[in-house]
Amino acid sequence: MKIVMIFDQIQSGLGTKDDTMVPLTGKKEAVGPAVMMQPYLKETGGRVMACLCCGNGTYLADPDEVSRKLCAMVNKVKPDIVICGPAFNYADYAAMCARVADDINRTTEAKAFAAMSQENEETIAAYKDKVMIVKTPKKGGMGLNDSLKHICQVAKALADGDPGLEALKQNVCF
Amino acid sequence: MLQKLESFFMPLAEKIGKNKYLIAVRDGFLLSMPLLIVGSFFLLIANFPIPGWTEFWGQFFGENWASYFAKPTDATFSIMAILAVVGIGYSFAEQMKVDRLFGAAISLVCWFLIMPYEILFEESVVSGIPLGWVGSKGIFVGIICAFLAVHVYAWVDSKGWVIKMPDGVPPTVEKSFAALIPAGMSVLVFFVINVIFAMTPYGNAFDFVFEILQTPLLALGNTLPAMVIAYIFLHFFWFFGVNGGSVVGAVFNPILQTLSAENLAAFQAGDAMPNIICQQFQDLFATFGGAGSTLSLLIAMLLFCKSKRIKELGKLAIIPGCFGINEPIIFGLPILLNPMMLIPFMLVPTINIIISYICMSIGLAPICTGVAIPWTMPVIISGFLSTGWQGAVLQALLLILGVFLYMPFIKMMDKQYLADETKGTDETEDEDDFSLDDLSFDDM
Repeated sequence: MKIVMIFDQIQSGLGTKDDTMVPLTGKKEAVGPAVMMQPYLKETGGRVMACLCCGNGTYLADPDEVSRKLCAMVNKVKPDIVICGPAFNYADYAAMCARVADDINRTTEAKAFAAMSQENEETIAAYKDKVMIVKTPKKGGMGLNDSLKHICQVAKALADGDPGLEALKQNVCF
Repeated sequence: MLQKLESFFMPLAEKIGKNKYLIAVRDGFLLSMPLLIVGSFFLLIANFPIPGWTEFWGQFFGENWASYFAKPTDATFSIMAILAVVGIGYSFAEQMKVDRLFGAAISLVCWFLIMPYEILFEESVVSGIPLGWVGSKGIFVGIICAFLAVHVYAWVDSKGWVIKMPDGVPPTVEKSFAALIPAGMSVLVFFVINVIFAMTPYGNAFDFVFEILQTPLLALGNTLPAMVIAYIFLHFFWFFGVNGGSVVGAVFNPILQTLSAENLAAFQAGDAMPNIICQQFQDLFATFGGAGSTLSLLIAMLLFCKSKRIKELGKLAIIPGCFGINEPIIFGLPILLNPMMLIPFMLVPTINIIISYICMSIGLAPICTGVAIPWTMPVIISGFLSTGWQGAVLQALLLILGVFLYMPFIKMMDKQYLADETKGTDETEDEDDFSLDDLSFDDM
């Protein structure tokens, strides 16, 4: 299972929450949460082939263009799964995750989903019927390890077309 | 092993993190934090840690110049228990889902209700609000009062024993009448408590709580093992993604802040500071650059690592790191759930605490004055402002020691990343059928 992950500047280690204008960047190695997920990726036979990173401000300046470019990149590298997140309670990043996951599902052959915490109420309400959104804790909250495990389980079920996906979704998604 | 530890400790962290009493104390103390820093700023000007400072300015502004600067400190530190009671009453009312402003007000009133209005003046007792009780000595009884007063208020409110006004009455007037009976019941309960304590040998609840609870708890908190254990837990929680500072601080910070206030009172009076462990000891000597003392790690990354991603992350995170912000490294390196970094992440702050404690206890570095220095103040400057030049030197040495403690671990990661980067340009390229150039967004 080939995976691409989409991060903001914080998760990718490219900046702090104030360095919002980090440009779109691609990395071939696993960074940030992709490293944290390694044990569960091993369990599910997943491999992060690339991490795509974008500053929150860069996204907000032109969401359509950023999403188009991310979809184009996904089309180019052809992963099985795209994981947008985990966005925790970073509101702008969460909005980017949901929107981009939806666009990827509609315009590419890859299957995408988002991951964020319940604090992103507006984004969850707007997108939960369009894309799968895996529950995570907020930054510094309880249950990070479990949520990373759930992300990998959803990725695996989605890639395999597992009939158990719907039940899993009920348990771990909004 | 890690999973076992997680399954044992995380429910504990969750219980602490979600406990409404601890949340109220933690958030309540936030009210006083900026005010104490402002008060400290004036005190620092009056007592800048340079020999001859006060005398030097005394030549120009008169001998008593420093006393004017003491007044903002008196208006903040000396009444810090009032701020704590109001803050905790307010945030606990939020937890109990009753009006926050009335929660704060009723906490303050009930606290004053059981306070002995007695001041010793020329060997006789006169009436007045004693500064001792509204300062650090009154904090613990204040915390208890805020909880009990708001509890009674919320209980009466939940029973619906409130005066209801007819439609058309302005909401503020309605709220004010609705608070009447709950507030009255809270006052009644504390009236009874005051009468009961008056009949005991203690004479009042303040003396009782101070002797039975505050003094032993402060003595327990003011020990090296307490600080070390608290910090091991704090970092362990962070490793699993839980904000350890918030969990451990909810229990430990009221003790540390009270210890700091005692130090500050001694500093103002020109006496020796009594407590090595205090809020500033934690903020300024346990870690540099955020949890895990990651500023040392960043320096190690910049000096000893060769892989592109570690060097780049080091360059990017070093400036925020100087101001105690380490999000990029916590998430980006990452440190969370990264077993390779767990040992130094817990070890370096522990070593910092032990060495700082020893240095202060044998007099190599002065004990922190209790002057509130923001945790974002860069290392060395913060040590100087809190204790003088010796503290700055101690911080610098600990920072360097941390670099060497982190070095073997980050070099292991670096080696692995370096191998990945080399592999990335040969093998994985074929496997994934795309190159790094393909990941450029420039031509899209």
